[in-house]
Parts: sequence; structure tokens; C-alpha cells
Amino acid sequence: MTAVHPPRRALSVALVRRALYALTVIGIIATAFELATERHWNGLEQLIPWVALLILAVATVLALLPAESARIAARVLALIVLGASIYGVLDHIAVNYNSGPLDQRFADTWETLSPTQQWWYAITKTVGPAPTLAPGILGQTALLLFLAGLLTTRPTPEEAVADRAA
Amino acid sequence: MACKARISFFGVVTAVVFAATGCGGSTTTGDSPSTSAAPATTSAPADATTAPAGAKVSANTASDSEIESALSAAGVSNAARWAHEVVEYRPYPADDPNLTKLRDNLAKYNPGQETVDKIVSALTP
Repeated sequence: MTAVHPPRRALSVALVRRALYALTVIGIIATAFELATERHWNGLEQLIPWVALLILAVATVLALLPAESARIAARVLALIVLGASIYGVLDHIAVNYNSGPLDQRFADTWETLSPTQQWWYAITKTVGPAPTLAPGILGQTALLLFLAGLLTTRPTPEEAVADRAA
Repeated sequence: MACKARISFFGVVTAVVFAATGCGGSTTTGDSPSTSAAPATTSAPADATTAPAGAKVSANTASDSEIESALSAAGVSNAARWAHEVVEYRPYPADDPNLTKLRDNLAKYNPGQETVDKIVSALTP
């Protein structure tokens, strides 16, 4: 087994953590851009991802603060955004499902389809306007932030003992 | 002690986030013309099921039920659902009688040209 020198390990962890934070910020900006180009603000429900982005931005700032309580708060907020993301995916599927009868290809036959077929068409966006997995980017970005918060450059108890011995 | 401090910190963070959320929501809904323009539709009967066939209603200011009634009169199937979509994509430019913005948004549902034409024929900006 190859022992990793503590300072080198800390450097690697810091690098990965910064990369995760950078990806989080990129994810927030890219999602905001995408929502803006889609004009995703028709009604209160379409404002949910904007609120989630705001929460994610706040969480990112908190994650960068030195206080441990701030980092824990950041992780909690990231989990809230993850929940919003899951809700978004389910909501998009429901929107597509409800749009089935409006599609000219299925207007006359929608009610005759089995529920499995109806939901499959909704999930695969065969009917409806909502991209099914698009809200998932919020969850992915939130997970990046959550994982970044789990990384720490502080030495493990064993490493601390080894450092003191050295 | 540390636990109490954390809990109070979470409380402050949550309050700030939800306060910001509330501001955003109210601002956006305030932009909607439907709320300020509601009195403009009071000349029409509250229950618009009696609206004369062929009468156009405003896509910007008419109520959901008034639009549904107008769409039904125009022969649009699923009128209630389409009325909901018309309201959702407000506001529409007043200088576009062809309601291009509405047409573009309805096209996402693949309703067919005939249905879109019927919907637009029942509406004015």
C-alpha cells in the first residue's frame, strides 16, 4: 500500500473541492441562461427553478465560508434543491401527460391508450412540451455542491497523530 | 450550545431564502397584466357560457372561463385546457392581431394548424 503524503493529499483534496465549486457555479450560470432563453416564468410554478437557483447560489456562498455551521447549512440547502429538482422532473412528466389530448396525433385516441402507454409517451416527451430530465441539472449541480462540502483538507485523526510524531 | 447556535443559524438562512423567494414571486406576479386588467372584463357576464358564438375575447384580459367559452364557440376541442394555456403565456403584444407569440407557444403541444387557427380566431390581443 502506498502512503499518500499528507500535504500532497491535502493539495489534491483542495483541488478537487475547488473544481466541484467551479462546476457548481458553472451549473448555476448555465441553468439560469437556459431558463432565461426558455422564458421560464409563466406562472408561479415556473418560478420554482429560479428560487432553487437562488437557494443554490446562497448555498455556494455558505459553503465557501470557514464556519462549519455554514457548510452544514450549505449541504442542507443543496438537499432542498435536490428535492426541487426531483419535483421538477415529475412535474414535467405530469405536464406532458396532461398535454396528451392536445396533440393532434393522439387527440382522438388518447383515452383509448393504456396508462402505461400514456405515461411512457409523457416520460419520453412523445407528447407535451416539457423536457423531462431538464430539471435534473439542478439536482446534479446541488449534488456537486454537496459533495464538495464533504471534502475536507483537515487531516484525519491518524494523520494528525502521524504529523505530531513527525 | 453549538447545536443551538447551528439551529439558530439554519433558521436565519432559511428565513433569508424564503424571504427572497417571496419577493421574487410577488414581483413576477405583479408584472402580469391579468391582475391589473381584470376590471376590463367586467362588462362581460361573470359566467361567460352565454357569450355569443363568434364573439372574440381578449387573450390578455379575459378570464379563463370567458376564453374557454369563446374557444368552445369556435369549435375547439379541449377548450378548458387550451384556455388555461392561453392564460399561462400572457402577456401578448397588443400590436400583433395574429397573436404570433401565442401561436409559437401553442405549437409546442403539436395541436395542428387547424386547431391553432381556431384558437386564434376566437381571440384578440
